[in-house]
Amino acid sequence: MDARLRRVNKEITDCKNDKSSNIKIDLIDESPFHLKGSFPGPQDTPYEGGHFEVDIVIPESYPFQPVKMKFITKVYHPNVSSASGAICLDILKDAWSPVLTLKSTLISLQSLLCSPEPNDPQDAEVAKHFTTSKRSFEETARYWTQIYAGGPGGIAKSGKSPEAVRDDVAIAGLEKAHVDQFEAIGFERGKVIDVLRRLNYRGANVANISEDRVVEELLK
Amino acid sequence: MTQTSRPPSPPRLKTTGLPDDQPEDDHDVFMSEQPATFLSGHPILPEDMDIRDLMPSQLYEMNQNLLNESVPQKPLIDELASMSVLREEYEHGSASFLRQIDYLTKDGYDCVRRTRGDGDCFYRSVAYAFVERLLYSPDPTMAVGSALSQIESTLPMLTGARFDPFVYEDFMECFTTLIQSIVVPDREGLTLTPQSLLDAFQQPESSNSIVVYLRLLTSAQIRADPDAYAGFLHDPDNYMELQLETFCQHYVEAVGKEADHVQIAALSRALKINVKIAYLDGRDPQEVGKVDFHEFIFADDTTSSSLVLLYRPGHYDVLGRSSSRI
Repeated sequence: MDARLRRVNKEITDCKNDKSSNIKIDLIDESPFHLKGSFPGPQDTPYEGGHFEVDIVIPESYPFQPVKMKFITKVYHPNVSSASGAICLDILKDAWSPVLTLKSTLISLQSLLCSPEPNDPQDAEVAKHFTTSKRSFEETARYWTQIYAGGPGGIAKSGKSPEAVRDDVAIAGLEKAHVDQFEAIGFERGKVIDVLRRLNYRGANVANISEDRVVEELLK
Repeated sequence: MTQTSRPPSPPRLKTTGLPDDQPEDDHDVFMSEQPATFLSGHPILPEDMDIRDLMPSQLYEMNQNLLNESVPQKPLIDELASMSVLREEYEHGSASFLRQIDYLTKDGYDCVRRTRGDGDCFYRSVAYAFVERLLYSPDPTMAVGSALSQIESTLPMLTGARFDPFVYEDFMECFTTLIQSIVVPDREGLTLTPQSLLDAFQQPESSNSIVVYLRLLTSAQIRADPDAYAGFLHDPDNYMELQLETFCQHYVEAVGKEADHVQIAALSRALKINVKIAYLDGRDPQEVGKVDFHEFIFADDTTSSSLVLLYRPGHYDVLGRSSSRI
């Protein structure tokens, strides 16, 4: 058996036998080199109560090259791309060591959710939101946990179609009043949300952005 | 960051074969489903991306990929070469390097075994020199036996460092099996020869497994005696003092991270070996071609000879005397 397969099999078994860590690794298809990891959102964070899934690809030269991981579950976090789930974490890149395992790497992702690093962002817009208003950022992150990760108070299990109840303003981390204000001038709601999100029209930053500036962007 | 505030784009690396749809979030482009790639499958910088928008880690990755594509791969560790080959490379360069090379040659160090400059060169050089010395030992059975028992005795240290046994056992076994094969024939009935030793170190899986084992051993040694190394744990880039955990994770256990004084001392101590390093660094104020040797003495046996490495800034090779081989 080749070394990569032997190692991955050991890792999967080790993870199965460890009931204390809450980390799960499952096969997606027959291949042992394409897996799905999952873990609960850490306590006392906006991700608490959510269930987060991670796509895992084991490269050819594993464990000498880092495992490839990205979030399947949408996560609102400065170091995770809100669009693609790509993750900015040193151990997945140049700080990788073959002593790290799928389990320990997933645990590192879990702790990344506890301690965002806005100075080394993967998603620049989310990082700006975080640094502008931590409270508002956390509200948005909690909302994402509800609607995408099955978090508490969520709608995932309410029986209604998620699209029907999803609040685009909350997803974008904006104030309804702000969106209403520019929609009332005659701009399309989706466009208003997009522009205000890009301009980081939140918290104290609102005072720094004139209405003219917003309109100028809306007219582009 | 708005599109309008961006300065004009620099020339593109490559403009063909790129996806038409550019994702909104620049930093996602590297991770997008079907990025343009080099022949080897590495993604390159997509068209609408400014190099200034890249994260340092992405820049690093791109740089590594470019390097890997453009430089023909040298073997992980090479055949023995005469010192004159090294000398030729410096012929049109620094005179102080030439004087130092001549000094080493006169001192009997007339050959060099080069390793690939991948950041693992110190560990790979030590491992190779370690096994080679056992192979040429006048009493191989005895030498192999004591080397294996020394390696065996480091197990509690690895466990103490809280590495998963199933993780380090494979790497360690790769090293011990190779050493064992000097005296005990393997499944095909063969014992280790200079050629099969070289083969094992040129084959990435076994070679890198051994490098990783030595990295873990180095880390475990530092963790086992923090007081001995406290105050010497620095970030090699900015010389900031680091916590032991950070140092071990980022600069010892991580692949491709160059070894410095602390790592050399810790590994020599863990394996109970003497390591002697010749500094070919062009520093020769008196212009006499003198080379400084730095020795790490940790062998119990006072008659034990040193493994000798050649250091050039940022790189280690194995230094040798042709007279000491058969």
